[in-house]
Amino acid sequence: MSETSKNVITVRGLTKSYGATSVLKGVDFSVARGEVHALLGGNGAGKSTMIRIITGATSKNEGDIRFFDSEGRERSEAEGRAKVAVVHQELALLPHLTVAENIALPHHRKGAAVFRRAVAAGQAYDALRMIDQDFAARSLHRLVGSLTLHEGQMVEIARALSSGAELILLDEPTANLTALETERLFAVLRRLTRDTGLSVVFVSHRMKEIRQIANVCTIIRDGRTVVDRQAMEELTDAGIIEKMGQVATSHAPEGAAPRPEYRRDVGSATDIITIEEAGFRLELLPGTVLGVAGAPAGPAALIEGLTGAARKKRWTVARAGWPDHLRSPRMAARLGAGFVTGDRAHKGVLHSLPIIDNVLASRRVTRGSLLTGRSEGAECIDLLNALKVKAASVWDLPNTLSGGTQQKLLLARWLGVPSRLLVLEEPTRGVDIGTKREIYQLIRQMAASGTVIIWWSTENVELLEVCDRVIAFDTEGRCAGMLERDDFSEEKLVSLTGMAA
Amino acid sequence: MTGTQVQIAPTEAPTTEIRQRESLFSAYRTEITIALAIVLLALAVGSQVPQALTWGNFANITQAGAPLILMSLGVLLVVITGGIDLSVGSVFSLTGMVTAQAMANGFGGISASLIGLGVGLLFGSINGFLVTIAGLAPFVVTLITFAVAGSLAFIVTNGRSMPIGDPDFWLLNSGSLIPGVPNYILFCVVLLIAIEVFLKKMVAGRWFYAVGSSSTAAYLLGIPVKRTKFMAYVASSLLASFSGLLTISYILNAESTAGSSLMLQAIAAVVIGGASLLGGTGTAIGAVLGALMITVIQNGVNLIGINSFWQGSVTGVAILIAVLIDRFSKSRREAV
Repeated sequence: MSETSKNVITVRGLTKSYGATSVLKGVDFSVARGEVHALLGGNGAGKSTMIRIITGATSKNEGDIRFFDSEGRERSEAEGRAKVAVVHQELALLPHLTVAENIALPHHRKGAAVFRRAVAAGQAYDALRMIDQDFAARSLHRLVGSLTLHEGQMVEIARALSSGAELILLDEPTANLTALETERLFAVLRRLTRDTGLSVVFVSHRMKEIRQIANVCTIIRDGRTVVDRQAMEELTDAGIIEKMGQVATSHAPEGAAPRPEYRRDVGSATDIITIEEAGFRLELLPGTVLGVAGAPAGPAALIEGLTGAARKKRWTVARAGWPDHLRSPRMAARLGAGFVTGDRAHKGVLHSLPIIDNVLASRRVTRGSLLTGRSEGAECIDLLNALKVKAASVWDLPNTLSGGTQQKLLLARWLGVPSRLLVLEEPTRGVDIGTKREIYQLIRQMAASGTVIIWWSTENVELLEVCDRVIAFDTEGRCAGMLERDDFSEEKLVSLTGMAA
Repeated sequence: MTGTQVQIAPTEAPTTEIRQRESLFSAYRTEITIALAIVLLALAVGSQVPQALTWGNFANITQAGAPLILMSLGVLLVVITGGIDLSVGSVFSLTGMVTAQAMANGFGGISASLIGLGVGLLFGSINGFLVTIAGLAPFVVTLITFAVAGSLAFIVTNGRSMPIGDPDFWLLNSGSLIPGVPNYILFCVVLLIAIEVFLKKMVAGRWFYAVGSSSTAAYLLGIPVKRTKFMAYVASSLLASFSGLLTISYILNAESTAGSSLMLQAIAAVVIGGASLLGGTGTAIGAVLGALMITVIQNGVNLIGINSFWQGSVTGVAILIAVLIDRFSKSRREAV
């Protein structure tokens, strides 16, 4: 077999521009049968655009895309696209339908046919059990709207598997999964690629995962392919970061660099924030960065309590001058307790409002503004510059920006606001390595200004790198223990949380 | 295509470890609640006015409720897809006027009825076209057709009411295709079953829920979103049209304003029946029960002798109670 006959797709010289801005300036990309192919690139490099062109959701300007079948014969474009399935970063699920229907409905092309629930359940079960037998057995007839984020993701991956696709494009599939689920997913992908010749394109920003799963790697930078089909073993982590064009920012000072001196001069008891549940009490000095680790149940309850969104009064937050209980997120915000959600698409970005309203949303609440002021435009531009967000206009809608850039908009809401407490939910999810470094730096800066930062992350490594203390929750949602900076280690965190990172 | 294609070995649908479907009780929890509420309401009225609980009065209620039931079934289809149809009342009136006028111009009952249904088909297609192809908001589109059809209903006869010309036309409503069962009941039952089965058992029926659940996700899954929405608006207008025919066949007279109160009642019936105006939920049985509940309330208000101006307030409170029950019987976690 020649090199090309093993390919399932070959893309050559792809270009695409929106108006005056060209997003793709000549991308080459090809995927062979049975490989797991890492597609890397910074935020806005053009990965998503290329994927959209491959699936036909967007048209191309120039270049050609060729699909091949297993014999190496060329397929028609329509036929080829039918064999490509995309698992979207923002889940594309039907909340009012059951898990079984979500997976099996695309199998039914004829509206006049009878929808046989038993068959649908069987199809869905077959796909789902390849990921998680237990989940498959329990959840087939649950409504998707009642699933958690990561359960929803599993359903979407199962649907792609079930569609009989020969090429699956996974756009950050692990962003919502726990370490254990990620491990299961990887096992499934390895088995499928080995046994059936399925090809997988894997977009992720987590270097460790890429190393674990991918054989081959393509790097796109600024709309061009800079590394085309190179074996993972031939590339070092530093080499990859350099190729992605983020070498400058990756040398920025890290967590170990100068610790903020703030807490020493302001030791007054009034500034201490106390968080408490039955049998557990934690006092946080201004400027502390508290990491939160563990499976979602525990951290989610803590975060709801800290942001005033909790229904149950499990956690209390106390500070001199604050009421005993934060009754609503609005109250929390006005007292200077900020929150950046991890569910960007559903709970974060205000999709129908322009960038300026998205960025200034929290500021308007904390200030109690009645009017949208004239100075806001300049303020917004300053914030965008500080975060290195490239936008044509502050009046554009957020969906004109890439996913990682939208994440920056959410952070901008609380950047530079004189806050007492800032709760961050996975602020580095779906963000490339260079931007991650920037975000770590921002977190340290905000802490240095006296804000208490509470930061939930599923990446233990980044917690240990940036935080002063880490609180760990076990898989049942109970508080498993605290780690101080002096005795940080991954092993301890893993044994406390019961999850491998 | 063979060989390397990813094939998932088809297994029999697993039986032991998976519940195949939810139990009938949990699937129709809302509907059972409404049915109980209707019974309680009827008993409450009966305790004040004994003749409320006679067969004669039940017949009154079903006869009075049949047009609303049919119209609610149509509105339900649109509401499930996440849309709204404000034009049904106007289409109802216009159909009556056009059919009566056609009979006055020498058409027979059947051909005049077909012309009347043509009105529904036309306005349903206009609604569907403007919503799907032109991409306008359903509320705006059907507000426009509501206004246009409503004014045309006056123009047909210059505002006069129009008696029915065909002496046999009463048979449509009150005749018995099946001996012993009046047609209006037959139509309600047949359409109820047909639509419930369509929504639950047919692939296209599941598409209605999929589109209302998330039209973007449905589009990405390859579900024909536009076709599904178009079908919903056409079905809604056709049912409104048919409901108009049934009404003029009953009272043997067509009025330009006959349907003006029905549109809000039909939307209320659908909401009482458990559908969300945000789309994605609702059942045909629920919509029919909602329509029956409104009719029972109206009937009760009349029988007890309360000033009929109170009808709207009583119906409003009933909607409120129904929606509150629905809201609090669902898991509180879903509430945002």
